[in-house]
Amino acid sequence: MERYQRRVVGVALAVVHNQDDALELAQETFVRAFENLSKFESRSSFSTWLYRIAANLAIDFWRREGRHVVLHGEDAENEISRLPTSRGDSFKEVSRSELSARLKQALEELTPEHRAVILLREVEGMSYDEISDVLQCPRGTVMSRLHYARTHLRNILKDVAGS
Amino acid sequence: MAECGEIGMMLGAFEDSELEPNEMQEVAFHLARCESCTGILADYSTLGRDLRSIAPEPPLAGFSSAVIARVDRLPQPLLTRIARYLRRQADSVGAGLAWGGAAAAIAVLTIILMTPYAEQFANRGPHSATSIVKAEHEAAMAVNQVAGSATSEPTMADNDSHADISRLESENHSVAVWSEPRRDTTVIWLPDQP
Repeated sequence: MERYQRRVVGVALAVVHNQDDALELAQETFVRAFENLSKFESRSSFSTWLYRIAANLAIDFWRREGRHVVLHGEDAENEISRLPTSRGDSFKEVSRSELSARLKQALEELTPEHRAVILLREVEGMSYDEISDVLQCPRGTVMSRLHYARTHLRNILKDVAGS
Repeated sequence: MAECGEIGMMLGAFEDSELEPNEMQEVAFHLARCESCTGILADYSTLGRDLRSIAPEPPLAGFSSAVIARVDRLPQPLLTRIARYLRRQADSVGAGLAWGGAAAAIAVLTIILMTPYAEQFANRGPHSATSIVKAEHEAAMAVNQVAGSATSEPTMADNDSHADISRLESENHSVAVWSEPRRDTTVIWLPDQP
């Protein structure tokens, strides 16, 4: 359990973005894994199976809580196009504390799917294929969600820098 | 040269080294000539570092024990419960047999080791079988001595025997003497000397 617990919590945290909820969901993940161990078919690695349970539980939790509107496909692309754009490398002028606070807020504004992909990639260091396995979506979806999330976060932070 | 919009979709994957080799080459070629896309790529890199820096480190102390406690509270399927009950019973029977065997072994060992001491202890008694045998042996020797003297002339030897018996009786009140005049036999019983 010690081997996987940190990353299981990380996966849950990537989706729900709340430490207490993530810890609770991570515990539930191991309980579910214990209950369904006989159903594990070795088609994916054990860790991927475990992270998938964590991601599913976290996404279900998030949807149950109804904290956010989820955008898919064209809606998400439209949302990107409405975001303000400006030229790159613009975070340097923003103070660290302000940037951290704004970044946390910006993460809150993302859908759990978009937040999950960017945090799994940037914080957990997962490959696109691993993210695709864990979140059970095509690799192309992982790429487009990452693009959306990065563009969204970058533009919000640029707004902070601009103001 | 590829358009910025087209390359922009691939910039994140380029940063993550998740593109095909030809795509990596194409983006690198574009970046060498496009300041705007180079800036966006730098922002992505900074964004990644910032996200890692604000990531909380969740407290995991007691996590495993909490999970184990939750697993223990799960209702077990009937077959599992029966299997566990049988396993517990088998364990307790096995333990009982082991304890019983150990106790029996200790008892046998104790008997083997203590028997010589017990015999020695029993031999200290004044009327033990061994002492009686010994006394009988000594008495027989005395009888033989008396009988031997009887076959000879009733001389000073008879007188000596009587004198010896009297001396024994006077020295030790536990000495018992039976005389069988018809058979010309005297039995002398001597107790063990402490």
